[in-house]
Amino acid sequence: MLEEVVLLAVDETSGGLRSTREFGTAYALVGAVFFDLALARKIDTGTEAIHILDPGPTGSATLDRVLAAMAQRGDLTTVRQWIDEIFHRRDDLEGEALASLIRQGILRHEKSKRLWIIDVERFPMVDNRPQQDVRLRLAEAILSDIIPDTRDIMLVSIAEPCGLLGYVLTGMQLAARRQRIQMLCNLETISRKVADAINALDATLHQGIPRMM
Amino acid sequence: MIQLTEETRSGWRVVSVSGRADAEAADALEAALRSAVEANGRVAADFATLDYISSAGLRAVLQAARAAQTRGSEFAVCGLSAPVRKVFDMSGLHHVLRIHGELPC
Repeated sequence: MLEEVVLLAVDETSGGLRSTREFGTAYALVGAVFFDLALARKIDTGTEAIHILDPGPTGSATLDRVLAAMAQRGDLTTVRQWIDEIFHRRDDLEGEALASLIRQGILRHEKSKRLWIIDVERFPMVDNRPQQDVRLRLAEAILSDIIPDTRDIMLVSIAEPCGLLGYVLTGMQLAARRQRIQMLCNLETISRKVADAINALDATLHQGIPRMM
Repeated sequence: MIQLTEETRSGWRVVSVSGRADAEAADALEAALRSAVEANGRVAADFATLDYISSAGLRAVLQAARAAQTRGSEFAVCGLSAPVRKVFDMSGLHHVLRIHGELPC
């Protein structure tokens, strides 16, 4: 899930990264990690609580690090607490997913300088089929009225707070299917808690901005 | 731990689910519901004695409903216990599934 969402954030023509909502994206990527752990049958969630089912390795360094942290912190028991905990650790989840996509031969890494001093990183596509597959699955999940596959429900609910759906569908399509997108985003506890975390952060940031007279 | 029993009533295949539908039970739950959907045109999942359902359990129910939708079969969820209803309400599953207070048969 994490790699699929990060792959979607790569501009297929320039190789640049689309980060439209920085904090929202960071929270959503934490949610993607928990979805990956759920798909690997390592964790399960209730409406609030999160449980470790199996602390054994997954084969992914990112997932194993989060799982090991969870196994050590028995005092944190809810989905929301763990989303905040991993968010505040400021792990480079996006960078780790990009490195994995490069290792798999899907992207390549280019570094250059803008105005001689500013480092610019790009991730041009070596194989654009995986990104096309993600885009097609998202479009189908949103535009059809069929109940989507579990993985595609999770994908919609992470791509939405990252602000990435606008790169898959037109504004008119998104507006027409807004209710369906909201419905899909609400199905999973993890995505509901990601949305809560983003809303709480937005509220805090708005309180910190002085009102203009 | 989950207990699954099946019977046919007035043309509906009723799968009664008791206990806890968590990650440990999700595969068995999905397999039972899918198998009922594949063999019957109308399937009801009776959750009257289901004590708990986790996200993994909900995914199992949703994927069985997806299988029914793909086959053009009717799939209904009935008799939700209070804790299970709370989970369904929070997830907005009433937008996706046919939910009945009583069995439809």
